[in-house]
Amino acid sequence: MMKNDAPKKSKSLWQHAFSELTRDKMAMTCLSIVVFYAAIAILSTLGFVGGDWAKEVGPSYAPPSSEFIFGLDIFGRSVFDKMIKGTEVAMSIGLVTAIISMIIGVALGATAGYFGGKVDEFIVWFYTTFTSIPYIMLLVAITFILGKGLVAIYLALGLTSWVNLCRLIRGEVIRHKDREYVHAAAAIGGGDFRKLFKHILPNVLHIVIINFSLQFQTAIKSEVILSFLGLGVQGRPSWGTMIDDAKLELARGVWWQLAAATLAMWIVVLALNILGDALRDALDPKLKGK
Amino acid sequence: MKKIKFFQTLIIGLLLTSFIGCTKKTTSNESVLNLAVSAEVKGMDPIYSNDRYSSNEVARVYEGLLEYHYLKRPYTLKPNLAEAMPTVSADGLTYTFKIKKGVMFHDDAAFPSGKGRELVAEDFVYSIKRLADPKLQGLGFWLLEGKVVGLDEWRKKYSELPKTDYSESVAGLQALDKYTLQFKLKKSFPQFLYSLAMPFTFAVAKEVVEKYGKEFLNHPVGTGPFVLPVFTQSNKITYTKNPNFREKKYPCEGDANLKAAGFMADCGKLLPLVDKLIVNIIVQSQPRWLNFQKGKVEYISVPKDNFDTAIPDAKNLDPKFVEKGVRLSVSPSLDVTYTAFNHDKKLFNNTKLRQAMSLAYNVDESNKLFYNNTAMPAQSVVPPGIAGFIPNYKNPYRGNGKAEQIEQAKKLLAEAGYPNGEGLPEITYDCPSSTTSRQTGEYFKKQMAQIGVKIKVITNPWPELQKKITNRNVDLYGIAWGADYPDAENFLQLLYGPNRSPGANGSGYDNPEFNKLFASSAVMQDSPERTALYEKMYRIAAEEIPWIYGVHRQSYTIVNGWLKNYMSTDFEAGQASYLRVDLEAKKKLMEKF
Repeated sequence: MMKNDAPKKSKSLWQHAFSELTRDKMAMTCLSIVVFYAAIAILSTLGFVGGDWAKEVGPSYAPPSSEFIFGLDIFGRSVFDKMIKGTEVAMSIGLVTAIISMIIGVALGATAGYFGGKVDEFIVWFYTTFTSIPYIMLLVAITFILGKGLVAIYLALGLTSWVNLCRLIRGEVIRHKDREYVHAAAAIGGGDFRKLFKHILPNVLHIVIINFSLQFQTAIKSEVILSFLGLGVQGRPSWGTMIDDAKLELARGVWWQLAAATLAMWIVVLALNILGDALRDALDPKLKGK
Repeated sequence: MKKIKFFQTLIIGLLLTSFIGCTKKTTSNESVLNLAVSAEVKGMDPIYSNDRYSSNEVARVYEGLLEYHYLKRPYTLKPNLAEAMPTVSADGLTYTFKIKKGVMFHDDAAFPSGKGRELVAEDFVYSIKRLADPKLQGLGFWLLEGKVVGLDEWRKKYSELPKTDYSESVAGLQALDKYTLQFKLKKSFPQFLYSLAMPFTFAVAKEVVEKYGKEFLNHPVGTGPFVLPVFTQSNKITYTKNPNFREKKYPCEGDANLKAAGFMADCGKLLPLVDKLIVNIIVQSQPRWLNFQKGKVEYISVPKDNFDTAIPDAKNLDPKFVEKGVRLSVSPSLDVTYTAFNHDKKLFNNTKLRQAMSLAYNVDESNKLFYNNTAMPAQSVVPPGIAGFIPNYKNPYRGNGKAEQIEQAKKLLAEAGYPNGEGLPEITYDCPSSTTSRQTGEYFKKQMAQIGVKIKVITNPWPELQKKITNRNVDLYGIAWGADYPDAENFLQLLYGPNRSPGANGSGYDNPEFNKLFASSAVMQDSPERTALYEKMYRIAAEEIPWIYGVHRQSYTIVNGWLKNYMSTDFEAGQASYLRVDLEAKKKLMEKF
């Protein structure tokens, strides 16, 4: 006997992607790692964990032991606590930078692709010129105005990393803008704004999401490099300053600070990378039905 | 075809190996001195040698009127190109030098028939005018600024004219005859003679400068013990012994201690004591360390992070080095590290605040963390080893981390108007961006937190920090000063009000009493009265806390067993010509490497 099932509703792109993603165990593990890092970052911002990083808890350079899980640094501070506190810096930089670059990239890319002509020429000229400024120089310039600190890093990294996304979005929008569904939208009286945001953007959103996840981890790595160069975060621990400390300490056999920071960074960057790839697989319509 | 190629390679290979065989044989008979220096060298022109590394290289090729006695401590000047110490007029303003006869410049194409000519008094007149030449913008004119009669006027005149005329004479700088040189000073300047031992004033030949023009920077032609035909920017500079070097001998005056330490073995021998001098430029400390361990350089100063490996108990070398014949040479450096207040800020015109902060700063702990406990906590501005330093003086506001000092600091802070730091703004601390400097900053922040003073550490690239200090855009900054010459004046001038930035007084400290003492001591010759004035200033500089003092560092140098006559010095100019490589010992010791 046939069951009287309700008529099967066809899944949207997003539902497809979601079910695909939940089936991918690797991707789910990575997602939970990222969520875990985010939770630590939030807890540390609220002061529940890692707040005691500046406290001297033992002798200078005590090696890892059951008491001090990742050992102590030059001033006898817990490397574990510094690592936790560093997570807050890394995650906030990843998030804010990715958001800044997403907003600028999508806005400019969509405008250029949709309107074309002079607008397009101008935006393309603008981003080509803009990318020729190395981000370290831009960072130095921004710190002159804002002073050193997190805000300067957010802006410097955010403002220099939107170009790739902008190029991708521009190309996609150019491809989409003459499709039938857009013409249909125009035919029923949709204006430019409606066509662009209601019809085209949702169809290119998957690029934004993939890019967001990749941008997130690039920003974390960049922060580490900047802090290593002494241009980064000031007056609070970050993974970059921990690695910077370690470069001299290694000669005296102090490896734990390097190990803690590298491990913390490695795990989250790897997780974000795998997640990015999984998102691409799940969201790219071309890979549907394989 | 293939066969022939293989055959060719074989022959080339064989030839190469035989050449290598040859060079090896010759090197074992030639004594070569291998040095390691830690920074790039800008060039070989005396007037641009304003950093330690460039001036050391310049001093291998060029020479000056005076030099420091190689073995004597405290540092004593002795004649080098001068025949004897100068005769000084009764008013202390006229210095007359006789210069040595028969001193020859190195052979060079700039001279007729390529043979070096004799050095004359006029060469010094020319060289010092070059230092003052406004068109060349030499980096050492500050040394003589406002001191030699007519020189400033000469400089000023030609800064407005298109071309400098060296033939116009300067009243205070005259060659009376071929071998007599006379300086006339505007006012008494007892440190004048020290400036004649600094590479800035070393003798260059006019012909060479004119022949090479801008390229003179890379064509050093002096009278010194070593010859370098062309200087190129690379990580190896190879000098050879000057074959026409005058008869300059290793000193024989020395007490029994020096004799026992083996410093007198080369007494009376002709300098230089090596045939070849190779200077390896190795910027990073770890490769320098590894090269030393392979016996490729004769001595290096121990890098901070290798200190525990080399000198485990902070006194004696590790046995595995002693076995290889390595010895340790420890000597105090003439320097002081400090955290300066910007006295332009109203906030710091509060002596009690400064004293409170100084008391809260635990210098012993910083000595342990950053100098492996080898430095000496500074009580005031003058380092030990020169007159003006008071040996057993204890600065009452020098913090050592004792609980009662923290209490006293808190009390002083309350008296200053900021109980528990309330009402104080966040104070910035600027430092260079190297890892160690940042850590020093973090340490400072931690120390100040004990009494409730909030510090924000800002790291800067070195040129940016200097600019910030010159522009007075700082609250506090951490820095150090090393001696230009062994006189307390060189340190005390850092606190002399009229020397304020862009002069050497970066903190802008201005204390009328101190200024008065300094002004009167500055024109006095070395005497007990002057030392008494120096000590008075030393005490003021201690109790007023114009800076939070750090430490006087010590240099820890490890020396390979085959290097003879090595003695640590703050003034390395000319040192290489006194060093000897014992080839027999080297052969034997190298087997253990």
